[in-house]
Amino acid sequence: MKPLLLDPRTKLVLAFTAAVILVSFDQGLTLLVAAAVIWGVTLPLNLVTSWFKFFRGLGPAVFGFFAIAWLAFDLPTALVSGLRLLALGTVFFLFFQTTSPKNLSKALVQMGLPYAFSFVLTVSMEFIPVLTRRAANIRDAQRARGIPVGVGWRGIRYLSALLGPLLIQAFKLADEMAEALEARGFGAPGRRTRQELPLRALDWGIISLSLIGLATLLFLKYIYH
Amino acid sequence: MEDWALSEVNLTVAEGEYLLIAGASGSGKSTFCRLATGLAPHFHGGDLKGRVLVDGLDTREVPVSRLFGQVGLVFQNTDAQLFNRTVEEELVFGLEGLGLEPAEIEKRLQWVSGLLKLGPLLERPPHQLSGGEKQRVVLGAILALRPRLLLLDEPFAHLDPEGSEGLRSLLKTLRGKGPAVVVVEHRLQDVVADVDRLVLFHQGRLTADGPPRQVLEQELTGYGLNLPALVGLFRAWGLDGPPPLTPLEAIQLLASGPPRRFSQTKRTKLREAGSPPSARNSNDIPVVEIQDLWFSFPGQPVLKGVDFSLWPGECAAILGRNGSGKTTLIKHLNGLLKPSRGRIMVLGRDTRVTKTHELARRVGFAWQNPNDQLFQTSVREEVLIGPRILKAYDPPWCERLFERFGLGPLLDRSPFRMSEGEKKRVSFATALAVQPELVILDEPTAGQDEPFRRELGGLIRELREEGKTVLLVTHDLEFAEEQAPRWLVLAGGRIIADGSPEAIMADRQAMAAGGLRPTQRFELVQLLGNLA
Repeated sequence: MKPLLLDPRTKLVLAFTAAVILVSFDQGLTLLVAAAVIWGVTLPLNLVTSWFKFFRGLGPAVFGFFAIAWLAFDLPTALVSGLRLLALGTVFFLFFQTTSPKNLSKALVQMGLPYAFSFVLTVSMEFIPVLTRRAANIRDAQRARGIPVGVGWRGIRYLSALLGPLLIQAFKLADEMAEALEARGFGAPGRRTRQELPLRALDWGIISLSLIGLATLLFLKYIYH
Repeated sequence: MEDWALSEVNLTVAEGEYLLIAGASGSGKSTFCRLATGLAPHFHGGDLKGRVLVDGLDTREVPVSRLFGQVGLVFQNTDAQLFNRTVEEELVFGLEGLGLEPAEIEKRLQWVSGLLKLGPLLERPPHQLSGGEKQRVVLGAILALRPRLLLLDEPFAHLDPEGSEGLRSLLKTLRGKGPAVVVVEHRLQDVVADVDRLVLFHQGRLTADGPPRQVLEQELTGYGLNLPALVGLFRAWGLDGPPPLTPLEAIQLLASGPPRRFSQTKRTKLREAGSPPSARNSNDIPVVEIQDLWFSFPGQPVLKGVDFSLWPGECAAILGRNGSGKTTLIKHLNGLLKPSRGRIMVLGRDTRVTKTHELARRVGFAWQNPNDQLFQTSVREEVLIGPRILKAYDPPWCERLFERFGLGPLLDRSPFRMSEGEKKRVSFATALAVQPELVILDEPTAGQDEPFRRELGGLIRELREEGKTVLLVTHDLEFAEEQAPRWLVLAGGRIIADGSPEAIMADRQAMAAGGLRPTQRFELVQLLGNLA
């Protein structure tokens, strides 16, 4: 996680502004400039290598989208569509690379989202490695008694040997966790966070500029013309 | 008549007191914890007659969200209690719930991380920590709230000997200084010498309450308790009076009694305790032969040149710290993992080129968590699916197994609706259903009460008489001493000691490297030897 000095709320506004611009404008040149600016942000944040790793996952979707748009419409539309998807993906990549789930959660609560909702968002991410480890244990336990879990065609037949115990353990874990949360004051009224994240002048400045810029662009595109 | 989990219980815990509540599985210990925290009836429902007061607050009237500052509970499953991204966030979670000022939160964070030596772990994700570390974090998160009452539900069940000792000394330091501490356990040995009071629960009733020696003096057969080894020995010798709780106390008691109180015969019997080693024939071939086994997970070497063999009819125990590679080692014995270097022969088959399902016909595994394998709709199907897939179904043998594990009346029941002890029995039956020559038992006594341990001991002896080889992976050295005449200590990716329990326990260097502590019986023998 690369730290970025901006408040998560500022980054949310920036991401929102960038997404609206990318969706609203369909001129190839405008999009190319916007995409270049967004991608350029990866350089000072030292995220170029991470971005290429991310692109390995998003790339097939971008090319698929590009191919379908080319077949269905024409090459310029396909180029714009592919570029737009890539730029939108990069916006969210930048946001999540520079914002920890905990800070995002705090920011959402400060923006008025109920604590329980934002907590569920972050805690579900923490339990992915726990369940992955349990799935590996279950697979080994079943294979140790000859049940071919996850091996070829027969593995599909015995998928229930993996999914059954995993689901039951996931439900049990959720149940135990709900109990532990209750016992640790999850439902207590008057919860406050240790480190309040105040919006500084820099954040206010960037939020104002983003929103004014967005409003101006939308005015020029939809009303002035 | 209504079926009460607890009935007619009257108990008062004073400020700063240290209590041990003991009882067999199903005796009502966990229900007591839920009642004391208000989780019952607020979270779990149920009928409550009488009153439970914590720091003057009636738990029926006050919600859990107000009680959590007064009473904290460390549950058995630490994974379910760690829901934050870092240890630091975990420690402040409850403090934020109390609505404390940021400066006060910071102060308490510093205090608790100092007290529990959590400083180096603060930035780590809790799920990457060892079992003992996770427990310290949960304990820290609760202590930071400065509760008046701290409850720990079977906290020693999954800790290695070093982790147990760490927790034990931590609880001792809290004694009299901070909250009243209540440890709920059926394994008494870990803490009974430290506590002020011992309270016994049996079938939902409080049956004894008093200083530990006084309570242990009573007749406790039938309570299903894992009594400390010394108490068991004193009873077996027919010695009366309050039993000793430490080997030193035992020696003092013996020294103060009549001269012939502890005869030479008893001394000899004490030294010969445990299961005899198996006789080996000259033409026996090893069941397992491991030569220079090396194994790494990506970027993390685990096994670094392991060598040993197991012989027919032998029972050996693999001992070592959590994370020392015990599970990784046993997963090599049926090909779940393949060596990075070296060779393993199991019953003459090279595991590098033999498929897991072929080895599964000869190697039976009973894992620590039986819930990892249950997926069928009935116990019968659960036990028989392995032999059917492996084409090794022998109906008379399976009928014998059902009888041996008392599963007859349960055969048509769903395995999910069984108690944890019953599930363990099903998992042993599934491990033995294909008549394996090698049986591997992973932490078989963890969280199990005394009747189960006795039953398991009987099973191991039967298996050995039939010529099967049994490999135990355990932290329970008392059980390992009784059942396994050979111990293998795994540390730093190698077997650093291989020998009889007595030889290993006498090797202080190996014991320290493996994070092990000698059993009470062994310590007593040593002290007697010094006296002689």
